[in-house]
Amino acid sequence: MSRLKLIRVFSLLILSFFIFSVPLFCGQTANYQSQAEIGQSLKKLAGKYPNLCQLSSIGKSHGGLDIYLLEIAGSRNKIKPEDRQSVLVVANSEGVHLPGTEAALGLAETILSAYGKDNYWTDFLNKRTIYIIPLLNPEAASAYFSSPRVERTYNGRPVDEDNDGLIDEDGPEDLNADGLITMMRVKSPEGRWIADPQEPRLMRLADPKKGEKGEYLLYIEGYDNDSDGEINEDGPGGVEINRNFPHDFEYYNKRSGLYPASEPETQAILKFMFDHNNLAAVINFSTENNLLNMQQTGRARAGADRVRVPRRYATFLGLEPDADYSLREIAEAMKSSGMVGEVEIDENLVATFLGLGPAMTLDRSDQAIYLEFQKEYRDGLKEAGLDYLEKRARGVGRGSFSAFCYYQYGVPVFSFDLWQIPELKGEKKESLTSDRIKSMSSDEFLAMGEEKIAAFLKEQGAPPNLTAGMVIKMFQSGQMTPARMAEMLEKMPGAVGGIEKDNPEAYLLNYSDTVLKGKGFVDWKAFNHPDLGQVEIGGFIPHLKQVPPTDQLKNSLEFHIQFSQKLMQKLPVLSVKETKTEKLGTGLYRVTIYLQNEGWLPTSLAQGRRSLAAYPIRASLKLSEQQKLFAGSPVEMIPVLQAGESQKLQWTVQAKKGSNLEVKIWSNRINPVAVLINLD
Amino acid sequence: MNKTIKIISLIFIILATTSSGLILAAQGGKAKPEIKLSFDHFYDQAELTSALKQLQAAYPELMELISIGKSYQGRDIWAAIINNKATGPAERKPGFYIDGNIHGNEIQGTEVALYTIYYLLKNSGKLEFVDRLLSDRAFYIVPTMNPDSRDYFLHLASDSNSPRSGLVPYDDDRDGLMDEDGPDDLDKDGHISYMRKRDPRGNYRVSPENPMVMIPCRPGEKGEFIFLGSEGIDNDGDGLVNEDGPGGYDMNRNFGFNWQPNYVQRGSGPYPFSWPETKAIRDFIMGHPNIMGAQTFHNYGGMILRGPGAKNLGETLPPDRQVYDFIGKKGEIILPGYRYIVIYKDMYTVYGGSLDFFYNLLGIFTFSNELDFDQYVGTMPAERRRSSEEDEDSSARRRFGPVGNLEEIIYHQLVLMGEQLVEWKPYKHPLYGDIEIGGVKKMGRRVPALFKLAETCHRNAAFCLYHADQLPRLSFEEVKVKKLASGLFQIDLTVGNQQVTPSISALAVQKKLHRPDFLKVKGRAKIVSAGILTDRFRELTEPVKVRQDYLIVENGLPGFSYVDLRLLIEGSGDINLIYDSLKGGYLEKKISLK
Repeated sequence: MSRLKLIRVFSLLILSFFIFSVPLFCGQTANYQSQAEIGQSLKKLAGKYPNLCQLSSIGKSHGGLDIYLLEIAGSRNKIKPEDRQSVLVVANSEGVHLPGTEAALGLAETILSAYGKDNYWTDFLNKRTIYIIPLLNPEAASAYFSSPRVERTYNGRPVDEDNDGLIDEDGPEDLNADGLITMMRVKSPEGRWIADPQEPRLMRLADPKKGEKGEYLLYIEGYDNDSDGEINEDGPGGVEINRNFPHDFEYYNKRSGLYPASEPETQAILKFMFDHNNLAAVINFSTENNLLNMQQTGRARAGADRVRVPRRYATFLGLEPDADYSLREIAEAMKSSGMVGEVEIDENLVATFLGLGPAMTLDRSDQAIYLEFQKEYRDGLKEAGLDYLEKRARGVGRGSFSAFCYYQYGVPVFSFDLWQIPELKGEKKESLTSDRIKSMSSDEFLAMGEEKIAAFLKEQGAPPNLTAGMVIKMFQSGQMTPARMAEMLEKMPGAVGGIEKDNPEAYLLNYSDTVLKGKGFVDWKAFNHPDLGQVEIGGFIPHLKQVPPTDQLKNSLEFHIQFSQKLMQKLPVLSVKETKTEKLGTGLYRVTIYLQNEGWLPTSLAQGRRSLAAYPIRASLKLSEQQKLFAGSPVEMIPVLQAGESQKLQWTVQAKKGSNLEVKIWSNRINPVAVLINLD
Repeated sequence: MNKTIKIISLIFIILATTSSGLILAAQGGKAKPEIKLSFDHFYDQAELTSALKQLQAAYPELMELISIGKSYQGRDIWAAIINNKATGPAERKPGFYIDGNIHGNEIQGTEVALYTIYYLLKNSGKLEFVDRLLSDRAFYIVPTMNPDSRDYFLHLASDSNSPRSGLVPYDDDRDGLMDEDGPDDLDKDGHISYMRKRDPRGNYRVSPENPMVMIPCRPGEKGEFIFLGSEGIDNDGDGLVNEDGPGGYDMNRNFGFNWQPNYVQRGSGPYPFSWPETKAIRDFIMGHPNIMGAQTFHNYGGMILRGPGAKNLGETLPPDRQVYDFIGKKGEIILPGYRYIVIYKDMYTVYGGSLDFFYNLLGIFTFSNELDFDQYVGTMPAERRRSSEEDEDSSARRRFGPVGNLEEIIYHQLVLMGEQLVEWKPYKHPLYGDIEIGGVKKMGRRVPALFKLAETCHRNAAFCLYHADQLPRLSFEEVKVKKLASGLFQIDLTVGNQQVTPSISALAVQKKLHRPDFLKVKGRAKIVSAGILTDRFRELTEPVKVRQDYLIVENGLPGFSYVDLRLLIEGSGDINLIYDSLKGGYLEKKISLK
């Protein structure tokens, strides 16, 4: 190593030491915090702002760790915090997303410190409540702090993974005593893996079509504790909390749990959310990013809006069994058949009756709202200079917390993953991809020459009988164009695809080698294994993908805390813009009020209305004994007010001159408004 | 001489022990109070509790009584565990589970369940069939899982349809208030009846055949009444009457399989097992993994239902379907008039029902019976019914009449002497003014007439006992030991199942819902290798997974079948072979390695 290099490394070390020890936010060291330390941090924070904070626990994890809740509200004596429009911030439902916890705590601290200094946030906290749950899955998170360290997303529920009647009897062990659970590779005639010839530290599946022969079997580091011939097939725990929620739950998968909300962690937060039915938005720090990847959990169920009615019902209802009907049309037919008596028929009931199942895609009008957030978010990332690799953003998972929030709780939810392993400069190699071929003309393609074309075909996994000479002839005769060719090759089995022909783990290794100075990878070293004989132990360290050194995270945390604050400023706000009283005759008054949504978001999402979780706005008249309603309904229902939309409400009332009329406007997730109208 | 003394004393001892045993038995017989339960009325929670406690006190060797949890209002949810402990602990026998009354107004399931307990206990030592059941099955019976609504239904003003829910306050109309506008017993007669108002522009008129009956007007016909729905007022002044009554959810949509939220499945609750009662049932049934058959009771319509409850689940796997069909079709014989049908295909869609949870996640074969028919069906002369069915139009009008159709009213008048009728009486309503209140009382519908209750109880108990008898009954049919070398033995054994239910359902095998069956070896022995004999003649075996002292029978024992196992064992002396099935029972047999 040259002198210069040594100095560089040394200074980097000092620098990183410095960054690591600087507190990210008050009272916290830059290291990630265990559940106990989070408890301490929250206590400190609540102690610092005793008039704003209340610290409690919504329940305990399977193994008995508290799931902390910080309730933040100003003017607590005026309106009870639980009676206000509220925002819920949740972090680390997966256990591996430790940065999320830091973001949630940082957000809490930022807003708390603005109270009394910044008018907007003072007013916000005087009218609203923010709930922070910084660690939803404490048991999985504890694996980061345990020795040996292991990457773990599930809680401690004992599960018989291998169905042999024994529970958790064969988990991993740290054989090489390096404090980390990594991988083992062992040469075996059954092996399907090879050390990648381009980078022998990485493993990949052998491709028999290219004449490669598998050499290795891969295992997680450990023994065959129960001598059943399998290694680490039934370790301690558990169920993944972020797959245990009830929208599009995956049954028959031991990691998602036996049934939705089977886990105490899931139950605790669901109970909290239904007990606090005034949550108007959820901010979720997890490995998902639902603004950059809007993919939903499942495929759309086509044709749910127009359906067929089974013959046995159709004849009763006077409908054609072969025709398609909208749910509304079927509802009307059911009503007019008189069969259903007093039951109120709506489209949801029809959908249930016909067994159509739940919504599986973002409602179109909600999607438009998400797209606007997406644009703002992208612009913000760019402005903050955060180089975020969008292709690695994860969409909403089956049974996930965020899927529940949108589809069943019916509320806008924003999931942020905060950090991705960065794309490193110079990583991309110049190579011919099928994408590039598509943009070529036939002449350009032919100009590459036979040799290059042959190399391209081989790279793309084309069958050996498709020679470059044949391809050239086909191009010359016009039978083939570059676009058709690329398409054909993509469809072939064994096609590499244009984008990532490198080992899919190459970027991880690159990141480990450069940014982490090799600390992200344990080099393969021989080990004499009692069950397997000679093996090598090595591979990526746990939590490499989700937990960066905190200096990598700092800018992103700042940005996401700010962006979360922006989101909170977009909640719907009801206000009475104007009231009018007209005297129509002696003791007869016409009262008009104009109600408006002054917020940025609609008063409810379309899915909120469909899921019945977001209630309509009720404008109810409180009449005194002497007052009588002459025209209008005592309760007017307004399904939704879009951003800026107004609604005129009118009543005619018989009342004494000079008496007051009270109108109350209420919905479950908006702050209520009341107006007192003097009849004069 | 010495020998004689010994023999005499031995005889004496034998005599003494036997006679003292006899005396004890006689005392026990005297001490045992004679329990007489009647099934000519419905039991409220207090009476049910006392009946269960008496039964337990009288049959302590057969019955255990436990509270498996408390309802929302704090009532005990009772479970009786019935098992002859002398023949082994309950958890080593295939279990049969029964619950009733999940819907608060569907009360007679409780009497059926209680009768089943009573019948088993009363006939122990008398009926061979019952003794066999008690010796190789365990029963887990929850007479009511909704005691709050049961007592509400029995003691407070209600109608035959409510409360179906449990009694946790629930905001049915989404106005932020809970249970604020339920029906009201305006005339204080203890019943929720119907309201009508005389009005020439109304859409109903009185039937010319019977003044109790209201029929909808034909086009052009002059009306006499407006029908105003269930008895009540607009308690919360929102313009709606009775829109938010007690509770408002459906506990049989709150179970954790194929669960869907409220907007897809009305009444499902916020998430699976969100209510104390469903949670208690879940914990109880999951705490007894030996349960292999189950029966739940509802009313009404005379149906023996099986899953799936919704189309998205697809049909039940063929081997399991055969088991259901075998038992269900027998049910049609035991329960005349009942139809054995599939919920989603022949009735309607149910997401999150208990029977789908039991079968699909716990591997338990489960039926749900809709008990009884309309009370007048089968109690009125056939001629009367036929003639009324001829006029299709008036039949349809009667059928959908809000207060009761002609046949029903005639039945109530002639057979029940009007006991369950509320004659129309005037009332001054705060909103509607002069109205009339009347109709059929809660006990006039959905539940059987009391003179038929005992039959409902017995026949449905008989169906339960038939199903329980059809749970797996395993035995070692043949065991052969062959010495191969010194200390090495080949054991060929056949384990058979005499009944239709497999020891593991086909679905449980496919989805690995619970552990497979084990064949264990206890003693100085080690299993070297083992296999299932797939061809007796060619002696072909298929290897199975072997551990030190047990082997795994992945597929268990299908119904009416057997499995031939071949083991190579190293060992010596007496060893025990144990067939240990989670749901199929526990067998043990001693063999000698020589």
